[in-house]
Amino acid sequence: MRAHPVVYVVAAALVVLHFLLHVGLGIGGAAPDLLVVALLLVSREIGIGGAAGAGFGFGLLEDAMSVVAFGVNGVAMTLVGLAGGTTRDLFVGDSLVFLISYFVLGKFVRDLLGWVLMGSALREPFVSQVLVHGLLGGLYAAIVGIALMALTGLWRENPR
Amino acid sequence: MPLPYAPEPEGTGGRRNKAVAAVFVLLALVAMYLPDAGQTLIAGVIRATALRPFISVQNRLVRSRLDAQEVSAVQAQMDSLAALMATQGSLADENRTLRNLLDLHSRLGPGFRSASLLRSGTPGSESMFILDVGRSDGVREGAPVVDRHGLVGVVREVRPQSAVGIDWTHPDFRASAMLADGTGFGVVETLRGSFREEDMLVLNGTAFYEAVPDGMPVLTSGLGGIFPRGIPIGSVAGVADAEGRWRKGYWLRPMVHPASVTHVLVGVGEGIQDLSYAWPPDSVMARDETIVWEYHLADSLRALTDSVVVMRALLEELLGISADSAAVADPAIFDGPVRDSIPSVRRPPASTPPVVPPPGITP
Repeated sequence: MRAHPVVYVVAAALVVLHFLLHVGLGIGGAAPDLLVVALLLVSREIGIGGAAGAGFGFGLLEDAMSVVAFGVNGVAMTLVGLAGGTTRDLFVGDSLVFLISYFVLGKFVRDLLGWVLMGSALREPFVSQVLVHGLLGGLYAAIVGIALMALTGLWRENPR
Repeated sequence: MPLPYAPEPEGTGGRRNKAVAAVFVLLALVAMYLPDAGQTLIAGVIRATALRPFISVQNRLVRSRLDAQEVSAVQAQMDSLAALMATQGSLADENRTLRNLLDLHSRLGPGFRSASLLRSGTPGSESMFILDVGRSDGVREGAPVVDRHGLVGVVREVRPQSAVGIDWTHPDFRASAMLADGTGFGVVETLRGSFREEDMLVLNGTAFYEAVPDGMPVLTSGLGGIFPRGIPIGSVAGVADAEGRWRKGYWLRPMVHPASVTHVLVGVGEGIQDLSYAWPPDSVMARDETIVWEYHLADSLRALTDSVVVMRALLEELLGISADSAAVADPAIFDGPVRDSIPSVRRPPASTPPVVPPPGITP
């Protein structure tokens, strides 16, 4: 099965937009984690190898801006991509409940992995970084991701 | 034949995908545990390539914010400087007034005492003022009130610690006066205008055939015993009116603008008859004229300074060294015949014949 070409365009645009908002304009937490959204979108369309590669690439881009925890984002995003790619074989169809859970859990797992890998010296409190920011960020990502899928025609509720 | 509901057989594509994923996971772990130098190198390369446009946008944004802040800061500094300059302007004016008063006080002697002049500002008291000196300071009724430029007014009411006076804009103000050259006498009085700014001084009672040129200073004459002789009142500014063929009146340009007076000298001595020594003829001028004169004086001083600087530069250029250092290091440099024309200008050569004064002039 070949991936929908629009996915790549949307993912690329999300990556650019993510860094424009977070790095260029310095909006920070007010902007959603579009990198995770892009990764989760492409992970459903390509195999686990490609998803892991995409996660690795996205993570490295984020790590380039990280001064003291280089590699953490790379590992976290690679594993999230790997997990996202795996869901393609486990869950068929794109129901709304599934998509919400998919984006929320994806962001949550990405933050959880980042928190675990970062080490006790650098990480913020678990409740703040993972439970609050992870879940709220996951909801934010879910809203943006589902809206994007609906706008670009990537949301298909029928089984492929 | 595969069994129904059995898991799909994993093809080579699935195994390759898993292998690729494993490679990427391994790469991610390797990247995380790379030495610092390697991590820094990779991060630097990524920042310089893929993330460069975003970092550039961030730099521009930060610079724009800083520029905006700098503009605000510069504007605030300008406001502060303007406020400072405005304050210093009034301070310099007050300083000049006080210096002039000190100068005048040294000429007038102990018969006058310095005082601050206050105005109540209430309706009907426009021509009146309050002094912060009174009977305990020796002030008496009818004492003249003067400043650097001339007559301000006269004390009318004396209290133990303060005094009340009227300035020349008051309708009751009168002063016997004379022309500065002593050729004409009269009485100076106030002519009220429609507005306070139109209040004028008039010199009345002068002889009809007396020609009085414009600009001639008018001083108190000392007649009547109220004001001592020689206090400037104003300067002639044209004929005001004439009566028959026996009397002329002249407009006077006042020496003192009462509204701008804040510090004065009050007469406390008895029997002061003549004060003309305190206002020499070359110093009799109105406040406006004084300001213009001081401006021109400062301008002339600046021009003189510039000339000295230019001459000094020329001298240094001619000598090739600093004039001061040359004089200190070797005084003979100005005497030696081997130098250029400057020494010869400063000191005539020995062969020049002595100057013989004209007959009748003792050298």
